[in-house]
Amino acid sequence: MDTAALAAGLAVGLGVIGPGLGIGILTAKSSEAIGRNPDAAGAVRTNMILGAALAEGLGILSFVLGILLWTKIR
Amino acid sequence: MDFLFPGGFHYPAIHIPSLSGEPLFASIPWYTNTHFTMLIVIVVLAGLSFLATRDLREVPSGLQNGAETVVGGLSDFLHSVAGDEGVKRLPLLGTLFLFILASNWTTIFPFVGQVPWLHKPTADYHVNFGIALSVFVLYQISGFRANGLGYMKRWFNLSGFKDGPFLGAIFILVGFIEFFSELFRVVTLTLRLWGNMLGGEITLGVMSALLIIPGLAFPFYGLEVFVGLVQALVFMLLVLMYFVSAVESHGDHAKDPHSAAQPAHSLAPAAH
Repeated sequence: MDTAALAAGLAVGLGVIGPGLGIGILTAKSSEAIGRNPDAAGAVRTNMILGAALAEGLGILSFVLGILLWTKIR
Repeated sequence: MDFLFPGGFHYPAIHIPSLSGEPLFASIPWYTNTHFTMLIVIVVLAGLSFLATRDLREVPSGLQNGAETVVGGLSDFLHSVAGDEGVKRLPLLGTLFLFILASNWTTIFPFVGQVPWLHKPTADYHVNFGIALSVFVLYQISGFRANGLGYMKRWFNLSGFKDGPFLGAIFILVGFIEFFSELFRVVTLTLRLWGNMLGGEITLGVMSALLIIPGLAFPFYGLEVFVGLVQALVFMLLVLMYFVSAVESHGDHAKDPHSAAQPAHSLAPAAH
């Protein structure tokens, strides 16, 4: 039971590292792009939100895994 | 910690929102708190649109003005993303966006998600799975309508074999991957919205119960408003992307079969 709780925490914590890095890089690059070319801000922002959603989906998967493990513990 | 928690630390007795709905009455097991909250959302949305369109004026004012701003903004946004194809999908995508946005924002009202008989609809994966599945069926249908049976070529492409067996095998493999990523889209659409919304609801419940000073949970309400807007936008955009990728033809453009399915109105020159 204790190991299951540890696994739930680790699954969420480790699984969120990658999407966090990805979204950070994505936002930095799109801020750079908007700074270089402010006229294209709308298109860049749309693409940024789409990419952030796709990257975030992986983190959400690990979150769901953690939730499922948590329901096993209860 | 003794002076912060004089009687020792105890977790506050809060109602943690469940992963899906809980039955509202013991005698009716299929009617859950999700249904009840969804009914409120639908009644509010339908009532607002009924009041806004009750007496339409040439020069809009009041509620009609607001409704026109919302619909016009959505239409402009869809047009800026995908051109004509986006405006064509406005009825479906706009309805989805408004419903998901209203559902996401129910949680900023007190008690939603914190009492057993109110539960945010999009924090119940059944709702999201229903939306994702119906959208999946719809964009497959529109893909078949636009491209005919040639739509299947994106999954089972044998045309590489005329350039040699190696290229043919690669095309088969790519089609296989495409097929499974197609099925996986339903799961990711469901889980993305559900995970975000359930996480937000749990965060709000825990924060407003955990922090002793009232009002310290307020920043999380702002975050929740933002996340709800972004997730509704992302859902709409992804569905639009799936529609666009289903409708655009993959083969050669010379024998483009979907000119008959184009709408009569056109706001911008066609992409092809």
